[in-house]
Amino acid sequence: MRYVEPGLVLRFARNQLAALLVILGGMVLLLSLLTSTFLTANNIFNVLRAFSWIAIASFGQSIVIIGGGIDLSAGSNMAFAGIITAMLLLAGYSVVFSILVGLLITLGIGLLNGLMVSKTKLPPFIATLGTMSIVRGFCYGMTQGWPVRNLPRSFMFLGQTDIWRVPLPAIIMIGLAVFCAILLEKTKLGYHVYAVGGNEYAASLVGINTGRVKTIAFTLSGLFAGIGGLLMTARLGVAAPTAAQGYELDIIAAAVIGGISLTGGEGSVWGALIGAAIMQILRNALVLMGFPAYWQPAAIGAVIIGAVMIDMYRKRKV
Amino acid sequence: MKGKQWIVVGLVVLLVWGCVIGVSAAEKKKLTFAWIPKALNNPVFELGRDGAFAKAKELSETTDYIVEVLYVGSVASDAAEQVRVVEDVIARGVDGIGISCNDPDALVDVINKAVDAGIPVMTWDADAPQSKRFTYLGVSNYDGGKAAAELLIRYMGEKGKVALLTGVPGAFNLEERIRGFKDVIKNYPEIEIVTTVACYDDINLGVQVVEETMQAYPDLTGWFFVGLWPLFAERGSMPLWEEAAKSGRVKTVAFDTLPVELEYLKEGLLVGLVGQKYWGWGYDTIQMLFDYVVNKKEFPYWTDSGMDIVTIHNVDAMIEAWEKKDFTKPLPPPFPEE
Repeated sequence: MRYVEPGLVLRFARNQLAALLVILGGMVLLLSLLTSTFLTANNIFNVLRAFSWIAIASFGQSIVIIGGGIDLSAGSNMAFAGIITAMLLLAGYSVVFSILVGLLITLGIGLLNGLMVSKTKLPPFIATLGTMSIVRGFCYGMTQGWPVRNLPRSFMFLGQTDIWRVPLPAIIMIGLAVFCAILLEKTKLGYHVYAVGGNEYAASLVGINTGRVKTIAFTLSGLFAGIGGLLMTARLGVAAPTAAQGYELDIIAAAVIGGISLTGGEGSVWGALIGAAIMQILRNALVLMGFPAYWQPAAIGAVIIGAVMIDMYRKRKV
Repeated sequence: MKGKQWIVVGLVVLLVWGCVIGVSAAEKKKLTFAWIPKALNNPVFELGRDGAFAKAKELSETTDYIVEVLYVGSVASDAAEQVRVVEDVIARGVDGIGISCNDPDALVDVINKAVDAGIPVMTWDADAPQSKRFTYLGVSNYDGGKAAAELLIRYMGEKGKVALLTGVPGAFNLEERIRGFKDVIKNYPEIEIVTTVACYDDINLGVQVVEETMQAYPDLTGWFFVGLWPLFAERGSMPLWEEAAKSGRVKTVAFDTLPVELEYLKEGLLVGLVGQKYWGWGYDTIQMLFDYVVNKKEFPYWTDSGMDIVTIHNVDAMIEAWEKKDFTKPLPPPFPEE
């Protein structure tokens, strides 16, 4: 048998990210042909900003899913970070202090998730389903149902500033994506995350402290959801107790569309980034094309299934 | 012994206190009314609750009764959960129930159960018409939608392109408002409803779809926000809409009359508001329950609570009412010249 160098097309098809980029590129091309409004700088930057917080939260989610878990508390954490920070700001604390406390608290919630999963052996689905509800309850309880408004300009700056027309949240998103990619691909911890998600038993046999790896993954997920939530709050200038309700599903869908396997051990944050972009461009497109609002959920569901099926088919084929 | 002395003093104080309580309790009869909103997570219900407490205080001070309000409900809008809450209230025992039903049918059984147990029930905001409740205090959302369309036409003129923003598609009250709105617009062939977008009651999504619609339809002349969702967001979050509204190119009419919307209206970004009397949901409901229980007053099957129409002409009075948390004064007319 002679070793055959795989052809360019095949090598390209094998590369998951490349395949995702083709889907994304196809959507962009189609939309710029169908509408005159899609491919305008204004709209592109709007889309970038709109999906940045979902994407950031999905980076943390990706680390958890690659490590074999799932984090359902992401949406609640997004809302909670915003509420804590907003309340501190209104109480007169400085922007930096308020943000740090907000992030520290969601980091703590992530840590709690991680400890429940690693120490008490609760299934991640159940542990984070519980914290999802607890944290949401805190959101309602602390605000008595009212959105927290009148935040200082110096805080809203974070969500509303553009640097050379690129929205600041989008720049932060790219920075965090690079950080996560390095963490997952270039560090021992990242290697351990893949190992634990791929086969936890085997990982523990080779001496990996699986509990510690999981705890770190969940802690990061809490932190990233908090960052996403803060950027969203800064953009809107309001922290609502109902904010980001149901976003955990968008966050998980972004990761899965991006090729991160729900069974763990596989995928990259770049996939999650593209997955989040695909979801947002789809939403944007439906509005730009005047697609009836009543039918939109059906279209979004169909695209989620379609995108994942294409990816699975590609994997089996090559 | 010092310790014993204190115990004696304590007992005496308790005894005197007990007598005072006993005397006042003998003079005044206590009435407890349960006031149950659709959900505890919606700010407009908080205002109704404040109204209910205000009326209870007023009645306790001016009548021979001590009126207490029991404010209970499910955290989120959920009919099954609300049924459970009503069952708990029946088990606890109250003198009357005022409820905003999450579902017109799902609550019928438990309301009848309460009435059969001797607890009078009335509905407010959202009715259960098939039940044995003695009256319903509410507005016709259909008429509200019609009023919104008339407001918009008054400011925008009889031609143009209009977009609608709704919350959760299929929510009965929102659909009724849209139906009323469209029935008026139908009579103006030169007004076109170009699109209806939904934000699923989410502020973030609301901001996004409004901006996207502004891009998709640059020649838009009117908006009907069927609820206030994107208006909760701060200035700067909807630059395209803000710019168009400020320049007067786009006229926007919205439902509800919350302080955030009043600010927008005062700045001229909104031209008109149509709102329910949230405060009255509590304030009037407690009065009606009291009248029914104590004064044996009869009520019609349906009690119209009326609608507040706010424009630049009466926005100041509305702002003042919110600041004082007192909505007892009637609002000045929205168009004084008529």
